[in-house]
Amino acid sequence: MRFLGSSRAAPYLLLLPSIIVILAVVAVPLLVSFWTSFTPYNLTRPDTLYDFVGWRNYRRLMGNTDFWWAFGRTVVFITIALNLELLLGLGLALLMNNVRKGERTLRTIMMFPMMFSPILVGFMFKYLFNDAIGLVNNALFDLHIISRPIPWLVDGVLANLTIILAEIWMSTSVFAILLLAGLLALPKEPIEAAKVDGCNPWQVFRHITLPFLMPFIFIAMTIRSLDVARAYDMVRIMTNGGPAGRTELIWTLMVRTGYQNSHMGMANAMGYISILLSIFFTVFFYRKLIAARAFMGGAQ
Amino acid sequence: MTKRLTGLLLASCTFVGATGMALADDFDYGSFEGYTLRVKLIGGTQYENLYTRIPEWEAMTGARVEIVSSKNHFDLDREIKQDIAAGNISWCLGSNHTSFAPQYGDLYIDLTDYIPQSELDQYVPGTLASSMVDGRLVQLPRVTDVSNLYYRRSLYEDPDNQARWMEEHGTELAPPVTFDEFRDQVIFFADPPNLYGTAFAGKDEGASGRFMEILRANGGDLFDEDWNPIFNSPEGVAALQWFIDIYQAGAVPAGTVNYTWDDIGAMMAAGQLALDLDWPGFAAFYADPDSSKIADELGFALSPVGSAGLHGAWSGSHSFSVTQACDNKEAAVSLAVFLTNDESEMMEAQAGNLPTRTATFSEVIDWFNANDKPFMAEMFEVWEGSLADARTPPLIPQWIEVSNVIWPQMQAAIVGEKTAQQALDDAVAQSREILEDAGLL
Repeated sequence: MRFLGSSRAAPYLLLLPSIIVILAVVAVPLLVSFWTSFTPYNLTRPDTLYDFVGWRNYRRLMGNTDFWWAFGRTVVFITIALNLELLLGLGLALLMNNVRKGERTLRTIMMFPMMFSPILVGFMFKYLFNDAIGLVNNALFDLHIISRPIPWLVDGVLANLTIILAEIWMSTSVFAILLLAGLLALPKEPIEAAKVDGCNPWQVFRHITLPFLMPFIFIAMTIRSLDVARAYDMVRIMTNGGPAGRTELIWTLMVRTGYQNSHMGMANAMGYISILLSIFFTVFFYRKLIAARAFMGGAQ
Repeated sequence: MTKRLTGLLLASCTFVGATGMALADDFDYGSFEGYTLRVKLIGGTQYENLYTRIPEWEAMTGARVEIVSSKNHFDLDREIKQDIAAGNISWCLGSNHTSFAPQYGDLYIDLTDYIPQSELDQYVPGTLASSMVDGRLVQLPRVTDVSNLYYRRSLYEDPDNQARWMEEHGTELAPPVTFDEFRDQVIFFADPPNLYGTAFAGKDEGASGRFMEILRANGGDLFDEDWNPIFNSPEGVAALQWFIDIYQAGAVPAGTVNYTWDDIGAMMAAGQLALDLDWPGFAAFYADPDSSKIADELGFALSPVGSAGLHGAWSGSHSFSVTQACDNKEAAVSLAVFLTNDESEMMEAQAGNLPTRTATFSEVIDWFNANDKPFMAEMFEVWEGSLADARTPPLIPQWIEVSNVIWPQMQAAIVGEKTAQQALDDAVAQSREILEDAGLL
């Protein structure tokens, strides 16, 4: 009681409402969903929430090749999408940094794709790449490049590339905006000093601009690696994981299992295994961020 | 004597007719002054026209309708499952469907306890029977879907096509009567990329339902009487081979494995398909010159028969259900009956949907003829015949789940990753596991 009356308690008391809210909206659902992953919980049979089946869901997942294919495909999807988004975003940011006229208009235009909902982007790309009535195939026909329609959303490689393209189109500007912020904060003195010392533009970029941007890159990577799960909406609209599971990602599989098939217990077990993926990417990028910051501080 | 007898007969007919009419109009919609009825309804252009009648019901009963949710059926299904999981059923009337209804357990009441038999007798008996789950009438059918064939008449009337078909097949070119003819004609008409023979829904229940239809037309079925999955039978393999044949021949768009109904409808209306095995709801769309390039050449035919000489006649009904948790079930039932009564069914039928009340069929055919829409009258005459064979998917809670293991395996076979037999063997093994877990095996 004495502690509660002291000034040392003030921060805790002030934080208490936030702690309660976070417990209610994050911790409790997390614990409940974790519990359900040890039950055969079926959405339409609420009483199954209390049937404890131990590790059964996890054991079944260990031997489920469809799940592991989806898991592996998701890792590849995130890796390719993030790296391409980084390269394109960096290029865009460097170009934008050199624009001296109309930069505000250009920055606004650059952010347009971020304003579309992923579902809308999914519909747009689905119709662009529709093999029969899609714009892309029609253009290729008119230019006499192809004589038979290309099955963009059917072929295993093309379908995944098309989805990655949609994801990149929608989210590259996130990288560009974050990296542009880094470029705008870049001190001019080291660059000018390097130029005086005779460095060419590539050397300036490689040894000064890029190291300075690295913390921004890793922050963007961390945010996007968690955010990329939004691609679920797009994949759902474009292929729904098909055909024959060729574009199945963890998210499409989980939603089908949890909502369409009502097996929320199994879907949550999938979720807890895939959370490892998010933790891995977050820890990886966070370590890189710390290292980059140490480098900026002159530790190396 | 003869005159007296005739007079008596006429009088009795008049009496019976009057009684029938009285019964038809006799349903008491009740008075629920000040009550607010919360409803969850299927959304979408073709469904919402009916809801313009709700103010009429409100004026009649004094109640007010609050639409708390309006979504497509898949999203509505997800939301209802979440409501069940959360134990939060705060609404009274919901849109339902024969394919979804078995999943919801005891969420909905048995309507036979609230609606007089004389009222129920006015619905199409087979449709009403399909609306029952475990012997309980959990839904009141609103419109019926049964798949039948649309075709482009100009292709069949073309002398070159007729001569070429005669040369290749030795028969007159006419809309297909069997699935074998259907396959041959789909391949015959295909001239990609401008014209494809047909397209099929390649994912979700659209794919597995069509497979079920051809399987049944071939004399097979999904399950035996003990719920053992048996669709990897020779009839099943032949059904799946039908999809593979037309896909590998390039007679359907390669992307059809990702298509759903809307994609197919858009292609048919754009004149890119020769034939389309589809739902009645598309008739008005295809027949409207503002939305369709084939409006003046639209033909209708019964769904083909399979190798067993049977119509698969995949069927289902959109419907309304009333929740057990409803605090005013009489009001909810009143609205359900109102939205499926003679006037409502006429409204649905005029939009091209197959009604669920027997009397509406002849009335709407007269109406179409009187309103210079003879092709729609023809469609109703043709498609009414298919109702006799109409069969729903198995009315068990696990149907959607089983469907979700069938269509990915179908896709694997269609795109050439597996043989038809391998794909169906795998789907049967997965289905068996689902049914075992559910305690049916």
